[in-house]
Amino acid sequence: MVLTASDNHSRDFVFKGNAKEWFGIWIVNLLLSIVTIGIYSAWAKVRTRKYFYGNTFVDGRNFDYHATGGQILKGRLIVIAVIFAFQIILSLLPIVGLFLVFCLLLLFPWLITRALMFNARVSSFSNVRFDFVGTYGQAALVYLLYPILCAFTLYTTFPILDRTLKRFTINNLRFGTAEFRVDAPLIAFYKAAGLAFLWLIVVFIAASLTIGYTMFLSLEDNPMAFASSVLSFYAVFFIGFIPAGFIYQALIRNVVYNNTTLTGGHALRSNVNAVHLFWIVLSNLLVVITTLGLMLPWAQVRMAHYLADHTGIEFVGSLDNFIGTQPEETTALGDAYSDIEGIDVGLPI
Amino acid sequence: MTQAFSLKGYAYLSDSSRRLVARIDVAPHEGAIWVRVTAEDGQEIVRAPLVDAKIDTALGRTARKLIFSDGTLFETYDHAGFAALDKDTHGARLYALEHFGPHLIAFTAACLVAAYILWRYGLDAIAALAVAATPQIVIEQIDVGTLQTIDLVMAEESMLSTEEKTRAQSIYTRVKAALHEKESKGRNLELVFRAIPEVGPNAFALPGGTVVMTDELIQKFPDEDVIAGILGHEIGHVVEDHGLNRLYRSLGVYVLIALLVGDTGPMLEDILLEGNILLSLSHSRAQERAADEFGLTLSHRAGFDPAGLKVFFERLGSDSSDDKQWMSTHPSHFNRVEAIELFIDGLK
Repeated sequence: MVLTASDNHSRDFVFKGNAKEWFGIWIVNLLLSIVTIGIYSAWAKVRTRKYFYGNTFVDGRNFDYHATGGQILKGRLIVIAVIFAFQIILSLLPIVGLFLVFCLLLLFPWLITRALMFNARVSSFSNVRFDFVGTYGQAALVYLLYPILCAFTLYTTFPILDRTLKRFTINNLRFGTAEFRVDAPLIAFYKAAGLAFLWLIVVFIAASLTIGYTMFLSLEDNPMAFASSVLSFYAVFFIGFIPAGFIYQALIRNVVYNNTTLTGGHALRSNVNAVHLFWIVLSNLLVVITTLGLMLPWAQVRMAHYLADHTGIEFVGSLDNFIGTQPEETTALGDAYSDIEGIDVGLPI
Repeated sequence: MTQAFSLKGYAYLSDSSRRLVARIDVAPHEGAIWVRVTAEDGQEIVRAPLVDAKIDTALGRTARKLIFSDGTLFETYDHAGFAALDKDTHGARLYALEHFGPHLIAFTAACLVAAYILWRYGLDAIAALAVAATPQIVIEQIDVGTLQTIDLVMAEESMLSTEEKTRAQSIYTRVKAALHEKESKGRNLELVFRAIPEVGPNAFALPGGTVVMTDELIQKFPDEDVIAGILGHEIGHVVEDHGLNRLYRSLGVYVLIALLVGDTGPMLEDILLEGNILLSLSHSRAQERAADEFGLTLSHRAGFDPAGLKVFFERLGSDSSDDKQWMSTHPSHFNRVEAIELFIDGLK
C-alpha cells in the first residue's frame, strides 16, 4: 500500500450519551442495588461501563464492555469475605495481622495487574479486544520498590516514578495484536509537577497569612481558634492539594496521550485544559451536592463529553486493519479489589 | 414471530476491526427463527438460528448487537426493528424500566427514602446481625489483643495500692450485680487497672467485657458514687455492644459507598468519606448518651447516687472549655451534665 497524504486522518473522540437517558439507567441501577442489598451493584457496574463505552465513538465505531454481572459479583464476594476475615484476624491476633498486612503488600501488585488485565480483556473497540501483558515482577517494581526508593529522595524523583508507572500501564496495553507505546520526555513530567507544586506554594503562603492571623487572635483566648485551625486545614487540603493534583493530572494526560502511538503509525492526541477541567469538577461537585446526588448522572455525562471532545487519534489508512486476538479469561478479583479500594483501572479514555 | 424482516447495520468479522455495511434477514425456517447476515455486495457472512446468537440487553441508544458463535458481530441502530428479536425477555423489561418517564419520579423518591432508611436503620440492622453472628470467643480474643496493644503502646502497670484496688473492685461487683440476668449472660465482665497518664482520669470498655480503669480516676475521684456511675456507663457500652456495632457500621458504610455509589468522580469521593467520618461521630455521641443513661439506671439500681456521673462531668467540664461538639466522638461535658440531670429527674 502506498501511503499518501490522504491516508492520514485525524478524528476526535465523540461521546453521544445524554444526561436524561443516563439518569433513567442510573436510578434503576441504584434502586435495584438497594433493593437487592448490593447484589445488583455488580450488574449496575456492567451497565454503567457499557453505557459510557458504547456511547464513545471514534470514526463512527464504538467501544464496548463485555464483563458479566456474575463475574463481577463473584470477585466482589471473595474480596469482601477476605477483607472481613482480615479485619477479624487483625483484631484477634495483632501479630499474625501484621504478617498478613505484609502479605497483602506483596499481593497488591498482583491484584493491580489482574485488575488491569481484566479491564483490558473485557473492553473492545470495533470488535477487537484490548489486552494487558504486564507481569507481577514489573508491577512489584513499579508499585512497591520504586515508590520506596522515591520516598528516600524526598519525592524529588516523583516525576520519574510516575513516568515509569505510565510506561508500565501503557506499554503493556494491547489492542488486538497492535501494541501501545508511550515515549514521553521526562522534562514534561517535571514541568507538570513543578506547576502543581507552584500552586501548592501559593496556597500555603495565602493560608499561613490567614492562619497566622487567627493564631494572633487566639492569643486573646478566642475559643473558636481551634475550630478555625481545623477548618483551615480542610481548606488547605481542598484548595491546595486537590487542585494541585488536578493541574498535574491534566497536564500529564496531554503529555502521555500526545506521546503515545499504536503499531501501524497511529497516534493519540489530548488537549485538556487544567483550569477548564477543574471548573467542570468543581461546578459538578456543587450541583451534585445541592441536588442530594440526583444530578450525578448529568455531571458524569458532562465530564465524559469534555474528555471525549479533547481526545483524538491520528491514524494512517483505516481503522479496519486491526487483528483481534482471543485473550483468555481472567479473574475479576483484582477488579473487585480496585473497586472497593477506589483505584481507577479502567481504559484511559 | 411469523413475519420475515430485515435490518440495516454493520457487520464485523471475527477477530477483526473490519467494518462492513451489512443487513440481517430474520425469517422463520423449519420451526425456528433464523438470522442471516449479508454484506452490501450481496455476499453472505453468516447464517444461524437466532437461539444460537447472543443478544446484548438494550441500553439507551447504544448499538444493538447480535454476536454469532463464529465471532461475527452484527450491530444496528434500528432499535425499534431489533426489539422484535428480544421482546418478552428480562432484558427488554429492564430497558423499559430505564426509559425516561414519569415512573422515574417514583423511583427517585423510593431511592431517597431507601437511602435514608438504609443510613438511619439499615446500617444498625446490618451491624446488629453481624454482632449476633460473631462468636463470643472471637469477641473475647479482641479484648486480649487490644489489651496487649495498649500495654505495648501506652499503658504502665497500675500503681494503685491493694486497698484502692479492692475498693474499686467491690464497687464494680456491686454495680455488676444490679445487671439483669439476660444482660450479663455469657459475658465475661472483668475490671482491670492500668496507669495511662495520657488519657487522664478515665475508664474504657473493650467489646468482650473487659473494663479498663486508669489510676488517675480513683486518685482524682475517690467518691464511690462517681466510680459507680462511670463503671455503669462502661458496662452499658459492653452490654449494648457499642464497640462491635461501630466496627461493623464503619466497615458497612465503607463497602456500601464503594459498591452502591460507585464512581462518583474526583473530589466527591473525598467529601463523601470525610462526611462519613463526621456522621459516624454523631453516631458515637449517641452511643455515649445511651451508655450514660444505662450507667445512671444501673448505679441507681445498685444503690448508688446517680448524681455521681454528673459530678464527674462537671469537674471535667470546668477544666476545659470546648464547645466543638460536632467534631468530637463524645458529647460536650456541659450537654452531658444537662442530659444526666434530666434523666435523673425521670428516675425519681
